[in-house]
Amino acid sequence: MSTVSETISRGQPARRLRIDGWRWGGRAFLVFMLLYTALPMIWMLLTSIKSGFAAMQFPPQWWPDQPTLASYQKLLDPQNSVGQDFLRFFWNSLIVSTATTILSVIVAVPAAYAFSRFTFPGRNFLFFAVLLRNMFPAVIFLVPLFILMRAIGLVNTHGSLVLTYLTFGLPLAIWLLKGFYDNIPVQLEQAARIDGATRFQAFILIVMPLSAPGIIATAIYSFIGAWNEYIYAYTFLSKNEQLTLPVGIQRFFSENTTDFPGLMAASFMMSVPVVVLFLLLQRYFVRALTEGAVKH
Amino acid sequence: MTIVSGKAEARRRLQPATSDVLRKMWEHRADYAYVLPAIAVMLIVIAYPIYYTIELSFFNTPPGLQLRDKIFVGFNNYTAILTSGVFWQVTFNTLIWTAASTFISFVLGFAAALALHRDFIGRGILRAILIIPWVISAVAASYIWKWIYHSDFGIIGAVLVELGWATRPPNFIDSVSTVLPSLIVVNIWREFPFAMIMMTAGLQTVPEQLLRAAKVDGANAWQRFWHVTFPHLRNVSTVTILLLAVANFNSFIIPWIMTGGGPSNASHIWITHIYELAFGRQRWGVASAYSVLLFIILMTLGYFYVRALSGNERKDGSA
Repeated sequence: MSTVSETISRGQPARRLRIDGWRWGGRAFLVFMLLYTALPMIWMLLTSIKSGFAAMQFPPQWWPDQPTLASYQKLLDPQNSVGQDFLRFFWNSLIVSTATTILSVIVAVPAAYAFSRFTFPGRNFLFFAVLLRNMFPAVIFLVPLFILMRAIGLVNTHGSLVLTYLTFGLPLAIWLLKGFYDNIPVQLEQAARIDGATRFQAFILIVMPLSAPGIIATAIYSFIGAWNEYIYAYTFLSKNEQLTLPVGIQRFFSENTTDFPGLMAASFMMSVPVVVLFLLLQRYFVRALTEGAVKH
Repeated sequence: MTIVSGKAEARRRLQPATSDVLRKMWEHRADYAYVLPAIAVMLIVIAYPIYYTIELSFFNTPPGLQLRDKIFVGFNNYTAILTSGVFWQVTFNTLIWTAASTFISFVLGFAAALALHRDFIGRGILRAILIIPWVISAVAASYIWKWIYHSDFGIIGAVLVELGWATRPPNFIDSVSTVLPSLIVVNIWREFPFAMIMMTAGLQTVPEQLLRAAKVDGANAWQRFWHVTFPHLRNVSTVTILLLAVANFNSFIIPWIMTGGGPSNASHIWITHIYELAFGRQRWGVASAYSVLLFIILMTLGYFYVRALSGNERKDGSA
């Protein structure tokens, strides 16, 4: 009896100590990662509220002496040329990203459903062909796509971007959604069809609502991808009034190479929409990955 | 005689097979309508460009991309690449860039996912903050870090000087020896959250009972991780690492915006080099030949990617 209690009392502190070691290691690691992640963003924010003169000092002002929102006012002021450009780029990015998002959901949903439910010949081949798109960098397709867009008259239009952006989002979207449809019991649809629904009605009324998290995740992914895309926009667009934000900001920087507060303010405002969108909907994203892609 | 009848026999046996496939395809004709839009987009934006790139790689096309004036040169573009010194330097850079970015991003992301697996106050906020770099544009990230690394007013240089570790701010991205590691740090900053999200999703599928059973059997934290959690995550890990490797191999924006491949090619990787050859120096043929080589490498990687994914499929089918 005494020996048993002895071993327990001897065993327990040792084990707790070891677990604590792991836990403290984990905490220290998280603090490190937090600093690594957040400090660059904090420095961006601090720089963006300095004047151009205050930013170019050595040693730097760790905290701005005279914080100012001048850079933001300049970018958002429709009266001056910088503000006009920035707002136009913002609007262009919004249009291109929204169009891409809507189209990729429209294209990906039926495709993913078919890959999940139907057994037509060539199904696996087509599925993997779609997934393989992920493997190839934009640059490989750039020259021929440039020729193609020139031939069909889409160079310098937002249509050329929407068409190419569609294909980035599609593979992951189809893969995620397929996983979702795999997990929705066929019996639900069969029950609906016995009650007189057509296949299409069963799909719209039963399957679509159940796969909503997957569709939301797909939409976020497409939107963020399109919002941040740079290389095609950089190559296909040359007219100033059509540029999207990433390219527009690069042009801004090449014209004002020392205006770091302005550049940081522009980077910040460019990041706000996608970060907010993602933070609002991130639980759908992780859930979609868990239920869709990873669970097997 | 016997041979002829044998052939006829073979044909008879073959014919039903082909018509069987066609009949099946016809029966399922409505199913194709669902996939058709996706396939059509893919064909226009992928299959056609692949074909065209291969064709262009055997020609010299004038700088203005006048396709009528292109001249057939056989494999000249390929030999020009393989015999140039820049090719090996760029390949070496690409290998280091891809391997270091992928490995460190995965390890950091996986560790962060594990550390965030246990619930504590503020976990949601912490996770959200760690994901932000992955969400923001690589262009914005490049400029933020370009400013941080700035050779006169950069904050890292200033901190080093304040601490007395350096007499003057070091050149991070203007020096041949430090430029690639500096860019890799930026790339990891943007990529580790992806590994974290994937591994977080994976961790949620590890059955709780197994871990508890292992604990009852006396396994310590490390043993539980190594013998229960990790084997369960093998598939997710493979897919994550492959996706990271491909994304890193294909990255363009960070080196392009931060250094443009310089100084003296020290931060050129394949993609930036191809881009510069094509749209900078307008050597379309050489750039296309590069693309074809890249394509072959990626197809090899793609084979493993599909195998990892179809490993999932098979399990799915048997379950």
